[in-house]
Amino acid sequence: MTVKNTSGRWRAAGRLSALTGVLLASLSASAIAEETVRLGILTPKQGASASIGLHMARGAEIAVAMHGKKVLGKPIETIWLDEASPQVAQQNMQRMATEYKVAGVVGGNSSAATLAMMSVAEREKLPFISAGSAASEVTGTSCNRYTFRTQAPVPVQVSAIFDRLKDNKIYFFTPAYAFGQDVLRTGRAMLGNVNATEAGADEIPVNTADYSSYILKIRRAAPDAIFGALVGLDLSNFLKQWNELGMKGSVPIYEVAVSDTDFWDIGPAAATGTHVKPWYYNDDRNPAVEKEFVKAYQEAYDMPPSDKAWSGWFAMRSMLESLEKAGSTDPTKLVPAIESWRYEAGEFPYYYREWDHQLIRPALIVQVKDQISDKYDFMNVVGWSTEGEEATSTAFGTKEQIGCKMGDL
Amino acid sequence: MEILLSQAANGLVLGFIYVLIAVGLSITFGMLGIVNFAHGAFFALGAYFAYELVRLFGWPAAILSPVIVAGIGMLLEVTLIRRLYGKEPLLSLVITFALALLIEAIIRYVWGTDGKPLSPPEFLNGFVELGPIFMTRYRVAVLGATIAVLVALWAFLAFTPYGRIIRAGSRDPAMVDMLGINLPRVFTAVFGLGCGIAAIAGVLAGPLWTVSPSMAANAIMPAFVIVAIGGLGSFAGAVVAGLAVGITTALTIQFWPEASTAAMYVLMLIVLLLRPRGLLGTQWERFE
Repeated sequence: MTVKNTSGRWRAAGRLSALTGVLLASLSASAIAEETVRLGILTPKQGASASIGLHMARGAEIAVAMHGKKVLGKPIETIWLDEASPQVAQQNMQRMATEYKVAGVVGGNSSAATLAMMSVAEREKLPFISAGSAASEVTGTSCNRYTFRTQAPVPVQVSAIFDRLKDNKIYFFTPAYAFGQDVLRTGRAMLGNVNATEAGADEIPVNTADYSSYILKIRRAAPDAIFGALVGLDLSNFLKQWNELGMKGSVPIYEVAVSDTDFWDIGPAAATGTHVKPWYYNDDRNPAVEKEFVKAYQEAYDMPPSDKAWSGWFAMRSMLESLEKAGSTDPTKLVPAIESWRYEAGEFPYYYREWDHQLIRPALIVQVKDQISDKYDFMNVVGWSTEGEEATSTAFGTKEQIGCKMGDL
Repeated sequence: MEILLSQAANGLVLGFIYVLIAVGLSITFGMLGIVNFAHGAFFALGAYFAYELVRLFGWPAAILSPVIVAGIGMLLEVTLIRRLYGKEPLLSLVITFALALLIEAIIRYVWGTDGKPLSPPEFLNGFVELGPIFMTRYRVAVLGATIAVLVALWAFLAFTPYGRIIRAGSRDPAMVDMLGINLPRVFTAVFGLGCGIAAIAGVLAGPLWTVSPSMAANAIMPAFVIVAIGGLGSFAGAVVAGLAVGITTALTIQFWPEASTAAMYVLMLIVLLLRPRGLLGTQWERFE
């Protein structure tokens, strides 16, 4: 009996020790968790823009790695959630704020999703840098104090390429959501500036798989040029079927806000056109820090970064440098730090304009090469939307034109 | 008028691809009573296997893709799907939906999220112009291949002993079982057949659309709409409804492109209001 009682006591002591161990372990784990700075990445993981979303997230991760994986002296923990649709993006933005308690979020590829995420950013006082949206409302009538945007807005991108459409009969080919409607509205408003006319217009539902019926319409309308804004796999599918139906080379295609992956997905045979995008990995004018980024990305993923990877990298870099400057994750300190942040590596200092949070930086004009010999190097850089600081600042519009009424912190 | 004819002909190609996807779904439902949400994933798998086979061995090897997918389908039937027979319909919906997500996740893991370029065979490059109708040779070939598959399937179901077993089993499986036919083996074969037909559609659609994980989701909704319009389990209904959806979509693009995705749902609404069983749907005692 005595032996039994003793072993029972030993078992009880063992259990107590185990329980104490578990408690201590969980306490130290939560202490470690408190010692990290959490940052959110919210980009598409599925659907037509999944490829864009993956590259954007990878770019953001490279920015974290290049920053030494630490900010404010603490390790960085990134949380990557899906921006599958505006509704999902909004729900995940809420989770970023309440469940993961992140210090800031980068991502927001589609304008519709970004607009949905922005309202959460404002309500939860969560600094958010949209790395892909281009609709004017984001930094225009729907702007708020907690949202910033890296990509040039629609009017800047459209005007960058519209000079090339002088005296043309243009067929508009735009997606049927906020961004596409903005492109169509802006393009139509600029027709008179270049003495162009409208040959036709189609607003395309997102995730359209078969474009042959649209191509038959375009063929019949016989335009001089197609001006569009399809995104992700939608653009890939269109270009692939454009080529399949023998239209490649017959009518030039101009697109805004394209991404390298849209072309990599279909291969050299179907790639064509002159386009506006934020950045290109094989551009001689890229500063040293961006060449370092290209090298780091290639080492990590065995491929060059797309422009969307750069957007993710740029947005995360500005978030990290602003956190260091703010010296805190407190949004009331972080937001002013992002507002006063400068990117000194460019042709001239790039910055988020204080009164609308739009990044002031020209967009890139690229043309698909006639002969493509590399599986990633499809483009020739043919120009920038504007040259120089003053012209760029002017191109992004005045307070009155933009219509942003920024709230308080 | 010329453009309408051209659009209608184009809609036929789209419609026939939808028919192939929907017929497999319809057969699976008719025989097994399972509404297979994973059907679109088998369509995508067909395109991905074709992409790999063409890349490694050239276009003739693409014929193996539906065989591989049918094999995967049969394996899944034996290990998972057969446990759902006779259970609540909701259970099969949830399980096959989860299966669809799993297959799509596997596709993303193996092939990545990027699209994969798959071009038509070189001998099918070029165009055919018949009066106002303008089509690529590949689209004409898709039309021909789809019709050939549908005719072969119809002949198989109508004139072979195996086809009779499937048709009888879809109406009264208990009676077929009592006649001494190994029903579980028939179920496995039917599920594999449905998956294989979806994979054929995937192989044919691969060079038209970009091969990507999201092609599964793009295929499954039109397939369900077609099955609902044509009548659950009706082979002929699926053919008629598929062509109607293809042509309706193409003509809507001509006149009201923003509504082109919604057009097939409006068509379904009208048909189901007028005839709740679908165009050629009949009473099925098993499911009443």
